[in-house]
Amino acid sequence: MSGKDRIEIFPSRMAQTIMKARLKGAQTGRNLLKKKSDALTLRFRQILKKIIETKMLMGEVMREAAFSLAEAKFTAGDFSTTVIQNVNKAQVKIRAKKDNVAGVTLPVFEHYHEGTDSYELTGLARGGEQLAKLKRNYAKAVELLVELASLQTSFVTLDEAIKITNRRVNAIEHVIIPRIERTLAYIITELDEREREEFYRLKKIQEKKKILKEKSEKDLEQRRAAGEVTEPANLLAEEKDEDLLFE
Amino acid sequence: MPDCAELYFNVDHGYLEGLVRGCKASLLTQQDYLNLVQCENLEDLKIHLQTTDYGNFLADQTGPLTVSIIDTKMKKKLCREFEYFRNHSLEPLSTFFTYMTCSYMIDNVILLMNGALQKKPVKDILVKCHPLGSFMEMEAVNIAETASDLFNAILVETPLAPFFQDCMSENTLDELNIELLRNKLYKSYLEAFYTFCKNHGDVTAEIMCPILEFEADRRAFIITLNSFGTELTKDDRESLYPTCGKLYPEGLRLLAQVEDFEQMKRVADHYEVYKPLLDAVGDNNGGKTLEDVFFEHEVKMNVLAFNRQFHYGVFYAYIKLREQEMRNIVWIAECISQRHRTKINSYIPIL
Repeated sequence: MSGKDRIEIFPSRMAQTIMKARLKGAQTGRNLLKKKSDALTLRFRQILKKIIETKMLMGEVMREAAFSLAEAKFTAGDFSTTVIQNVNKAQVKIRAKKDNVAGVTLPVFEHYHEGTDSYELTGLARGGEQLAKLKRNYAKAVELLVELASLQTSFVTLDEAIKITNRRVNAIEHVIIPRIERTLAYIITELDEREREEFYRLKKIQEKKKILKEKSEKDLEQRRAAGEVTEPANLLAEEKDEDLLFE
Repeated sequence: MPDCAELYFNVDHGYLEGLVRGCKASLLTQQDYLNLVQCENLEDLKIHLQTTDYGNFLADQTGPLTVSIIDTKMKKKLCREFEYFRNHSLEPLSTFFTYMTCSYMIDNVILLMNGALQKKPVKDILVKCHPLGSFMEMEAVNIAETASDLFNAILVETPLAPFFQDCMSENTLDELNIELLRNKLYKSYLEAFYTFCKNHGDVTAEIMCPILEFEADRRAFIITLNSFGTELTKDDRESLYPTCGKLYPEGLRLLAQVEDFEQMKRVADHYEVYKPLLDAVGDNNGGKTLEDVFFEHEVKMNVLAFNRQFHYGVFYAYIKLREQEMRNIVWIAECISQRHRTKINSYIPIL
């Protein structure tokens, strides 16, 4: 990052106006981006808090679900192969929706049930109650997992967005604006210098002219004193006009 | 001479009865359970089990110990003991043993049928089958294309054939819901077993028939309880009740019309054996469930079977008690490994 960097442009008044406009534009842009970054950071913190809450709850729910699995196995025996063999379509499905925060689209997952419970009659003769409890616990766990997935994807997306926005804000603040300001300063100094040069030139010319004038005046005096100079006739001072026939 | 069992029993079955009584003496006692409950992790559990009759059954286990490994090894041990009994048995004890394995065979057959219909590789399913229920034609299951082929080619050879014939004709094998099929098979099996014991007469009938009656009624109650809120129709439900119990016929008819737990309790009030059982059921959180109450009653009956001599019930009772013990140990192991000790004492004490 060289400190002497400025935009190469021919210094003129027009250039100056253009640069001023650019500076204003850059400043407005930086303010807008800062606002966006603040909004994103706010949302980010909210999501972080929610993630921590959900993860703690998740730990509890999974523990409960694993324990209810042990209970069900105690009463119903080993039903795992039966369950695995009867798998066909998913009952709990997920829809992905979009949420917009300060221009950043975040994905949101929402679950919905489809179809009937194909394991209604499993454990009919042994352990049905425990199996029902097990199904409930794991259903709760799945719902929590979906929510957690939503939150985590938003977290990651927001993180990226915030980094990019902050990078842009910093770039404008520390690179673009100083560059424009330096260019402006350069233009102004150039213009001032040009004015001074003009002024000096004018002054010099005036001096020269004065000297020239004085010289020619002196000459004239000398010639007048030597009688060589005839003054041209002064029309206004004449009393008699030869051209007039009748007086 | 059916009344003189004492004279003839030991000729054929004395050795095995002595053996099974010795095995029964090695079941875990209350003190053992107290020790197990106080273990901190699964390694401690293994060390405690080494002092019991289980001995070093986990000795060659190199990797980290999990509950499923303990479960598999215990099952293998039980299977070995059972095979030993079976190989040394004579008729009619051998038929009795075959009847005992039928319930596991039913589960295995359902698994295999399901797997064959979904074209899953047979090897995977064979691993999941219960070892006590293995039969010779198991690997041949994958050659059948449809369920009726399966029945015609393979199942006809197994002891399960008559149960299939009771349930349905062959063409409906494809459409029936698997769970309904399983329960219907079990119903036929239970009734056949009951008839066998009754015909055998003697002390065996005196011991086994009440046990099997209880099993039938227990299934009726549990099926009723679990069918509340499902799509099972009342007629379907009634067709799943085994008829060899005390509830047959009026109780079963009443049970088929029941809509909720309170009505079920009122049906049970008619029978003095089941009234206290259903009254002992607590409410949803914290109290005992109906299943727990039934487990306890079953264990009591099985322990009482050892008070008489010269009958086959001791074998049945021993296997059932061993299974309950295995379930208890797995329960305690799960509680320990998941560090969820609040309900660790909910196992069913045996002795």
